[in-house]
Amino acid sequence: MNKCVTPVAPVDNDGDGRWISRHSRMLAEAKEKEPDVVFIGDTIIQDLQQRPIWNDLFEPLHSLNFGMFNDCTEHVLYRIQDGILNNIKPKVVVLHVGTFNINDKPIHVAEAIVKVVEEIQNKLPNAIVIVLELLPRGQMPNPLREKNDKVNDIVREKLANSPNVEIISSGKTLLQADGVMSHHDAPDYFTLTDAGFRKVFEPVHELILQLFGENEEKNF
Amino acid sequence: MFQNATIAEKINLKVEVPHKKAINKAVADYLRSNGYMTALEGLKKDADMPGEVEKKYGGLLEKKWTSVIRLQKKVMELETKLSEAEKEYIEGAPTRGKRLPTEWIPRPPEKHCLSGHRASVTKVIFHPMFNLMVSASEDATIKVWDYETGDYERSLKGHTDSVQDIAFDSHGKLLVSCSADMSIKLWDFTQGYQCLKTMHGHDHNVTGVAFMPTGDFVISASRDKTIKMWEVATGYCVKTFTGHREWVRQVKVSPDGSLIASCSNDHTVRVWLTSTKECKAELRDHEHVVECVAWANDSCRVAINESVSTDNKRGTYEGPFLVSGSRDKTIKLWDVGSGICLFTLHGHDNWVRGVMFHPGGKFIISASDDKTLRIWDIVNKRNTKTIEAHSHFCTSLDFHRTQPYVVTGSVDKTVKVWECR
Repeated sequence: MNKCVTPVAPVDNDGDGRWISRHSRMLAEAKEKEPDVVFIGDTIIQDLQQRPIWNDLFEPLHSLNFGMFNDCTEHVLYRIQDGILNNIKPKVVVLHVGTFNINDKPIHVAEAIVKVVEEIQNKLPNAIVIVLELLPRGQMPNPLREKNDKVNDIVREKLANSPNVEIISSGKTLLQADGVMSHHDAPDYFTLTDAGFRKVFEPVHELILQLFGENEEKNF
Repeated sequence: MFQNATIAEKINLKVEVPHKKAINKAVADYLRSNGYMTALEGLKKDADMPGEVEKKYGGLLEKKWTSVIRLQKKVMELETKLSEAEKEYIEGAPTRGKRLPTEWIPRPPEKHCLSGHRASVTKVIFHPMFNLMVSASEDATIKVWDYETGDYERSLKGHTDSVQDIAFDSHGKLLVSCSADMSIKLWDFTQGYQCLKTMHGHDHNVTGVAFMPTGDFVISASRDKTIKMWEVATGYCVKTFTGHREWVRQVKVSPDGSLIASCSNDHTVRVWLTSTKECKAELRDHEHVVECVAWANDSCRVAINESVSTDNKRGTYEGPFLVSGSRDKTIKLWDVGSGICLFTLHGHDNWVRGVMFHPGGKFIISASDDKTLRIWDIVNKRNTKTIEAHSHFCTSLDFHRTQPYVVTGSVDKTVKVWECR
């Protein structure tokens, strides 16, 4: 039984109810706003919104950020099931989730990521999903980093023939040739600095512009 | 005092003596190299300068002589450039006296930058009579400001969600507002600013409102795809216009009240007969959501017909004319009479959120999510001025009917007042 694919809200360990509060606000936002791009996923996605690169590159594209600190695949599935994508028609959805499924097997995490992509496509059949490969973690090579690599490989294989899915591996640029992650990009060797965000998300921005361009051509 | 004087003298000695010596040596070198040996000996004697003149003074006098001329030439060049730049600056931003009111356009920097709203500003409008301006915001409030002094006057509270649009009646006695809370409210501007009426009937977000010129009816546009007409006296909905296939963003009533223009997420602009609810024209050419629409005043007819003239033959379009702005980044000018798009203006790099005609009839002015305010010359169909107006999407603008002011609102939560010259 793979628990990563079963939609569920996270246990409120702190007891302040902030996850569900934020989720409710996102549901309300999705009713009013008309985003062209939606970012959905975990800490990496939520953190992106606080960065200059968000204002510079993504806000002008009419983007909404549905990132949630520490979310695992099952939590993102819950939010989608609960209607976070119901009232909007974005052209592109950017996804990063799975790195917090720490104790789950790579195959389970990978299956769950594929499931998230399928759920997004169910809700938004015309949208293109950009799957951001799980970012490396830890200064030196370590088992978790290897696991994320394995997840990425399986996801790439499973989604290889899916239409309207793009996989982007810009996270690799965070590693130096010797496999070390610099504190200039990730001071705690997981969450990114502004420079780290630029390395990972500038290619995402370029890809979105390219996809928008292709879409316009199709319309003519 | 005495001490100070000696210090000054010492400084003088330090600076001047070596300088003077250097001049003497340069003159001596000049005399020597030209063979004026008698003069050289005389100078050496007079200036108390025995021995040979060092090499570094070779040709110095001639160099100084030519460098002064070179510097003079450079100064003259720079002065010419400066006067050209001054001229350009003054002509680029002329004083109001030197230009006709029909030529007045907003000039940076802004006269006032007003903050106070806690969320995006959705709409800004001028009061038709007083020195007041009103802004609506996603913070669910409406704020009243003095646009001349930049003073904040008051907040109108009552809506429970984003205020989406506001409009005055022709005398400015009543303000109408609409909101994502699905209601429409009327506010008294003659005394007290109370909410006089709240009207319900739309099934979704209400994003556009306008008064009929007579002031006895209000028109509204909604995400429920309908346009409704409300009687001010009773608050009842008296008519519903249906036809748009999606969210109706805005409504504008023609100056004589006979026609209503609306724009929609269905990519069309529609024109309706007020009396019969009949859809007179469906204007299709935009490729994305049409965000905003505005009627032309009579003074625009000359410029519009000149703009479409070919081979010395002027256009003969009778109008009425409409301008619309869209998420396809373009602005289009329409002749409602013939139902065609006369021309398209390209230039904005993002959604066009607000558009209207200059009261003088020669320009179109627009606000966009590319954060700029742009002025377009109708005759030449050209973007004549771009103002970097805000630090975030520029959502709305209004041009005062008689005074030289423009106001803009933005997602950056500020309202800016621009003086025109």
